[in-house]
Amino acid sequence: MLKKILFNNQVKSQLIIAAVGSFLGFTFLITSIHYLIRVNEFGEGEEILGSNSIIIQKKVSNYNTINLAKTDFGENEIDHLDQQPFIEHVEPILSNSFGVSFQTDSDLVPYFRTDVFVQSVNSDFLKFDSTLWKWSEGDEFVPIVLPREFLVMLNTFASAKGLPQVSDELAKSIRFKFKLYNDNSSEYQAARIIGFTSEVSAILVPSSFMEYGNLGFPTAVPAKVTQLMISVKEGNFGTFENFMEERSLESKESSMIVGKLKSVAGTLFGVVMAISIIAVFLASLVLIQYAQLMMSKNAYEIKTLLRIGYAPKSIIQAIIAYFIKVFALISVLAATSFILLKFIIDGIMIKGGIMISSSFTFLSFSSVILAFVIYTAVNYWNAQKEILRAR
Amino acid sequence: MTITFDHVMPHPLSSIQHGKDSIWGNAFRLEQGQKVVLNASSGKGKTTFTHTLAGIRNDYSGNLLFDKQAVRDINPEHWAIHRREKISFVFQDLQLFPELTVQENLLLKNDLTNTFTEAELKKFLAILGIPEKWDDPCKLLSMGQQQRVAIIRALVQPFEWIILDEPFSHLDKANTELCLELINARCNTLGAGFILTTLGDYHDFTYDKELNL
Repeated sequence: MLKKILFNNQVKSQLIIAAVGSFLGFTFLITSIHYLIRVNEFGEGEEILGSNSIIIQKKVSNYNTINLAKTDFGENEIDHLDQQPFIEHVEPILSNSFGVSFQTDSDLVPYFRTDVFVQSVNSDFLKFDSTLWKWSEGDEFVPIVLPREFLVMLNTFASAKGLPQVSDELAKSIRFKFKLYNDNSSEYQAARIIGFTSEVSAILVPSSFMEYGNLGFPTAVPAKVTQLMISVKEGNFGTFENFMEERSLESKESSMIVGKLKSVAGTLFGVVMAISIIAVFLASLVLIQYAQLMMSKNAYEIKTLLRIGYAPKSIIQAIIAYFIKVFALISVLAATSFILLKFIIDGIMIKGGIMISSSFTFLSFSSVILAFVIYTAVNYWNAQKEILRAR
Repeated sequence: MTITFDHVMPHPLSSIQHGKDSIWGNAFRLEQGQKVVLNASSGKGKTTFTHTLAGIRNDYSGNLLFDKQAVRDINPEHWAIHRREKISFVFQDLQLFPELTVQENLLLKNDLTNTFTEAELKKFLAILGIPEKWDDPCKLLSMGQQQRVAIIRALVQPFEWIILDEPFSHLDKANTELCLELINARCNTLGAGFILTTLGDYHDFTYDKELNL
């Protein structure tokens, strides 16, 4: 009966407009938060370098191209760097001087082969468990760290060919092999991915494997050191950056595809999230205003109910319960739409070679629960104020 | 429940000179079970009196007490309990829900207090001469019929006092007598009293006390 008295004379069009606004806002809010989290997670935990470690190289200019300036580091230069007070440790990044190609060696994935170049870094700079990061002749496989964009490219290739995508976990279980060669001989070595990186653009191998290849398959091309791994003393990054500028050195960190991809997708979802928050805020304001208007229109009914003995609490509860149902319906519809949208967006991401986790994010659904709680609290406070004012 | 007026003076009436027997500015008590009449012409403050008793107005000096509790200190949740169990009202503007039927108006109150059966409610309507109005929306009833519905609604609860603000203003003599008889019988059953405000007519009833403005 209370429902009949309080909700019969409504202007439903205003409620429908506010509900549609809330529904759209909620749908985009859940979607944007979910993908903001998933895109940020993409490639996360793959930083294999310590927080103070950095890869540097010489800036490439036209002089380099016409061989008037060198891009490699000599021993003197490395020693000079090592003596700088702000540098803790310098190690050359070794590159291969032997021919090396990389290919799949499993029935699980289609055949894929490419020439690559590999690098090795001293294990002191890596965050890996050092027991995993070792190789000696006769071992079952060479542990490798694969650049993240390599897998993105592999998946893009697979997608274009209509082949199934390779997830991180699947990639780790697939057998690969290196072919080491020079003009005179060649050899295969099994390889297995133990991690991914967004920081280095070459396949990383243990130093012992690099030495084995350089010694066993020497070529006329000498193994030049074009990149150095440097560990900078805590709090000295500013001094070090000035030093790099003076010496025409540059760090390697910001040129990665994955970083850019994450940045673009992150910004996009960030903008969508900001718009969604504004939409949810405005729609909630309209809904709250609607509740207030409804109470004002029913001022006589509320006053009369109080005068015949209805408790303010029971009237407030009837009003709040009604709007909780409206909000719950909006939330359920938004969550359902998000699940459908997720199905489509996940498909687009996978097609683009970005393998993100397909599980739902707690935070995206929590945002709706939070908005729900805030709305209900404000509505309750308003209803209480309005009803206690009536006597 | 005893009602005590301890020099109650509504602010809008404070500039007017009131007599020694006036309810305003003087002290007096109303004992439970008393049948009280307040007879005055229009615009003299009868509704101010009932609204003050109902807790609708708090703009007065002095003290109004239900037993030992100051009326202005009763919070909204406690007012709900008072209005369900101790004090009932027939307001001058009736305060019915025009869109609801007579049945719904009565059940709205009865559901709250669980006092009578539907058959008993219909019997009240029959006593007051409007048995056929059970399913009619209140907005289609005449003022006299609406007054009778409002009176029945006020009786559909336990109470110690019932306050009636010009409840018979649209009723003829015969219907007024029927209503007053019903109110008096219900009060006697409950051991309750009533305060009736009226426009010059005592309705042939013998009251325990008369109040003056």
